[in-house]
Amino acid sequence: MDWKLFFVSFAAVFISELGDKSQLAAIALGGSSPSPRAVFFGTACALLLASGLSVLIGGSSSFFLPEKLVKGLAAVGFGLLAVRLLWPNAKNA
Amino acid sequence: MTSSDQTSREPAASTEEDSSMAAKAADDRLKHLAQRAQDAQRAQDTQSAQDAQSSGFWLVFASTFITIFLAELGDKTQVTTMLISAESQAPTVVFFGAGLALIATSLIGVLLGQWLSNRVSEETLDICAGVLLLLITIGLVSDIVAG
Repeated sequence: MDWKLFFVSFAAVFISELGDKSQLAAIALGGSSPSPRAVFFGTACALLLASGLSVLIGGSSSFFLPEKLVKGLAAVGFGLLAVRLLWPNAKNA
Repeated sequence: MTSSDQTSREPAASTEEDSSMAAKAADDRLKHLAQRAQDAQRAQDTQSAQDAQSSGFWLVFASTFITIFLAELGDKTQVTTMLISAESQAPTVVFFGAGLALIATSLIGVLLGQWLSNRVSEETLDICAGVLLLLITIGLVSDIVAG
């Protein structure tokens, strides 16, 4: 195990993720969701899969996925989560 | 005269006692039944609450997973990981380092949200969280428009 490389990867990703949109989303969802554990597992699994893919493929998935489409779908997802929180009494329904 | 009075009264008194005891027993039985019905109802409520909770868990998990996954595809973290991985030729080590960092940042995020939820009222937090998610949405949309 190359510990230097391990720590370099850890530090680089940790710093670039601090305050990034996925962490902001984790803060927003973790505080307002009835099951923060589900938010943590969902976030961690998604991030692990995304980084696992990029390491395996050795390139960004935008090689075979149109970047605008992926970003558009992500925007729709965030928009839906936002509406669900802001919609009056959406939680009781 | 007095003795006959007593004798005539005694059975009456005992019947009264009997009927009051019977009424009490019936009352007890009713209370018992009501209690059992209440217990059953409560058990059912707990069961349906548990069902709702477990379906809520997977709903939250799925919606969080899909949204974050799509948002991270092609994000700068992925580019960082890819660059380090390609440069070092040791993708496993890079994946462990990056994975641990991602678990740490999401744990910090969720814990921070929890900490806030104990200090801010639920309504305020929901509005702030919704606005934050809307801002992320707007950021993504402006990325698409600009890019």
